Amino acid sequence: MDPLLEQLLQGFVEEAQEIYQRVTGSLLALEKAAPEGTHFDDLARGLHTLKGSSATLGLEEISDLAHSMEDVILPRRGVQEPLPTEIADAVLRALDVWMAFLRAAEQHTALPDLAPSYALLEAHKPRPTDARSDAPAAVVPATAAPLVKDAPLAPRSDSPEAPALSPEPSPNEGESWRVSQRQVTALLREVERLREVRLRLEERKREVERALLPLERSQTFDPAAQRALLQGMRRAIAAEGEETADIVASLEEGLKSICTVPLRTVIEPLRRAVRDLCKQSGKLASLSVVGAELSLDRRVLEALRGPLVHLVRNAVDHGLELPHERESRGKHREGALVIRLEQQGNMLFVEVADDGRGLDVAAIKAEALRKGLGKEAELDLLPNGSLHQLIFRAGFSTRATDVSEVSGRGVGLDAVRAQIQELQGHVEVQSKPGQGARFLLSLPAELGSSPVLVVRCGEHQVGLPMVAVESSRAARVKELRIGRGRVQLPHRDELLELKDLGALLGLRKPELPVDGQALLIVQSEGERVVLSVDEVIGDKELVIRPLPAELRDLPAYQGAATMARGELVLIVRADFLVQSERTGASAALAPGSRRALVVDDSLTARALHRTALESSGYLVHTAASAAQALEQLRHAEYDVMVCDIGMEGMDGYQLTEEVRRRPETRALPIILVSARDQERDRQRGEAVGADGFLSKKECVAGRLLAEVDVVIARRRGAA
Amino acid sequence: MVKPPSSDEQPAIDELLRRRAERVRRALAAPEEEALFMAAEFPVGEELYALPLESLRAAVPLRMVTPIPLSQPHVLGVLRFQGEIITALSLASLLGGRGWREDPAVLLVVETGAAARSGQSRLVALDCERIPKSSGYPRALVESARARSSGEVIELTLPGLRQVNLLDLGKLLRRHQGPRREAL
Repeated sequence: MDPLLEQLLQGFVEEAQEIYQRVTGSLLALEKAAPEGTHFDDLARGLHTLKGSSATLGLEEISDLAHSMEDVILPRRGVQEPLPTEIADAVLRALDVWMAFLRAAEQHTALPDLAPSYALLEAHKPRPTDARSDAPAAVVPATAAPLVKDAPLAPRSDSPEAPALSPEPSPNEGESWRVSQRQVTALLREVERLREVRLRLEERKREVERALLPLERSQTFDPAAQRALLQGMRRAIAAEGEETADIVASLEEGLKSICTVPLRTVIEPLRRAVRDLCKQSGKLASLSVVGAELSLDRRVLEALRGPLVHLVRNAVDHGLELPHERESRGKHREGALVIRLEQQGNMLFVEVADDGRGLDVAAIKAEALRKGLGKEAELDLLPNGSLHQLIFRAGFSTRATDVSEVSGRGVGLDAVRAQIQELQGHVEVQSKPGQGARFLLSLPAELGSSPVLVVRCGEHQVGLPMVAVESSRAARVKELRIGRGRVQLPHRDELLELKDLGALLGLRKPELPVDGQALLIVQSEGERVVLSVDEVIGDKELVIRPLPAELRDLPAYQGAATMARGELVLIVRADFLVQSERTGASAALAPGSRRALVVDDSLTARALHRTALESSGYLVHTAASAAQALEQLRHAEYDVMVCDIGMEGMDGYQLTEEVRRRPETRALPIILVSARDQERDRQRGEAVGADGFLSKKECVAGRLLAEVDVVIARRRGAA
Repeated sequence: MVKPPSSDEQPAIDELLRRRAERVRRALAAPEEEALFMAAEFPVGEELYALPLESLRAAVPLRMVTPIPLSQPHVLGVLRFQGEIITALSLASLLGGRGWREDPAVLLVVETGAAARSGQSRLVALDCERIPKSSGYPRALVESARARSSGEVIELTLPGLRQVNLLDLGKLLRRHQGPRREAL
């Protein structure tokens, strides 16, 4: 194909897709009720544009097919009755093939056969004997005249009563701006980077302020010149920061306007899906949409398309009853499907509801039993809400013996949940037998920055999505209800379980909070817990990015965000905090497991010791400094401590002395590890009370484990 | 018109053409024999390891790495590299626990050659005791060692009996894509 035509074809595919959707919408509306408004004109104009534009591009085959569609539709102008279903069906099918042909032509793949579509349309063309007194005779253009995009149709001379088509393009045409999604996404990434630069600039300003402080106090020289210089720097950096912020704001605003598309682009195709499914299953349904006028981030909408299609298909196939069943239950023959969309701040709430039979709890229990998810007695004790959640498990289907083309293969709702979680949202279901089901999706409406509460836990800082944090309070030990295996706290007439963030993240043994320690009430999917953290750092607007591929199977994290100094902070998933069964207080070691504490200021050394010790079944906690190790030892017992000598601040010798001084850790087996392999270091280690000594060179897995066994056995022997 | 060679001249011409063909063949064969495989060479403990030089994107100081609680032990954490979040891994740990002479201070940012859906990132950072040096190995030797080995570490015996372990990073990372660590 001519390169110019090739280029034009690409643009036409996008344009044709929009027209295809509009024509589909018009056909569905005309099928439902007698023509009113502009549906017929829109349909006629759409088909004519498809015909003319395809002819201009040399695609005579589909130009003729569009012409045949016109032959079926145009004679119905002025008919004050709904479009017969068989005609709507024939044109819709031909339209699907028309679009498939165009895409295949663009992608140079096998072209679909048009003959069946011609035959179908031919069968529905009005015969001369069909001419009705109230319908004007059709006048069909004999040839496909070349058509300039959006050129108006000439009013038909033989049908003066037909409304003249507007010579102006419809309001939406010409306003659309087709941009490559990849380009826009790349630009958005740059905006996110700029935001980080802005944060770093703020930190630079603080650094200058810190540098100014000692100069101002110095008595040894006149700091005036230095101070003036630094103050100038501070002003300049501050101005740059403000300017950067302005750039970020305007870039973001402009890009958002490009990236924002109306929700109806996702919703409208669902009407066709509902109609086709109903025809296939013999059901009747009407789809109502509330809130489709909203516009959203294109990336969110693209990701939302799949889950919505799935939920609507499920609602028709699983939820709605056949018309006679509905009537026998006192319901209207036609089932009601409702999609409600609402935006609150940065959150989008989507509800997909039907008034069908509702979730079959007995079938869910039976499938759960079959899958070994619990014993019958346990499942009987579960509230319906918990049983309903089982339908989101992978491979879970209550229709194992009744698989339809639409659903029942146990693939889908787990994918829906995964896709929504990918967007940092969540999905829940509510249902009443005989009254229907409601699927509630909540997700961020934008994929830009999000409010995050940054907290500290030991040496780690992590972020919690602010949307999950209901409130915070200071701990009062006397309020805690400490029972067997769990700790609870009364909060607004509820007893909430208390979890230690450090223990949930595997950083330490669960700790009870002390008076004044920060507690956060965290909610997810309707469940609440109290989370104890070491310190609340503050709330920040951060851009959350996904973790690299090899870390995405970690259920604890949504992603990571860049802080002011350029370091990354991990963002913990709220559902992980709430639903994790590692409740902290109830956590217990598996029988025979042993604990090791690794103390080293080198990340890689900690990783290597962990690798060796975990391979031998140890549960390993790590500390990056002696002070942190002492804190860990205050709360937990360990079977062995492996400690680096050359640490900043308190070194390994001093830590060993301190551990030996404390009665509760006096007998802890300690192995000192040194980069240097010198006899005097070994002697000094022995003198301060270490049980073993290894050089880092000797720390191959087998050697370390052998030494650990030796020092533990020696200590036990001594005891 | 050019006069055709006489029968007396023909053997000399044939010999001349044979020699010329030999020269051309030698010239073509020479680059193959002398082709070098360029590698980034670095120590891990007492042993020498190498990666294809073309896979090395950068060597950066080992700092600003955020540890990831609950991750596998060979995961040091995540860091930002040119606006991208990448995973830092302990090479000694990936290799099954090697002793080391000094705490690594450098991260090598390398391309893994991962496909989009392989479950691996395109870039990862590996810790390293010192900045690697570039070395050229005879390509034929590398190819023949690769053909013999199916593992993630290809042992090369270089001229002078120098031993180097050439890493197949893709294979090494795929072997470690396993279940995550469970917290207590």
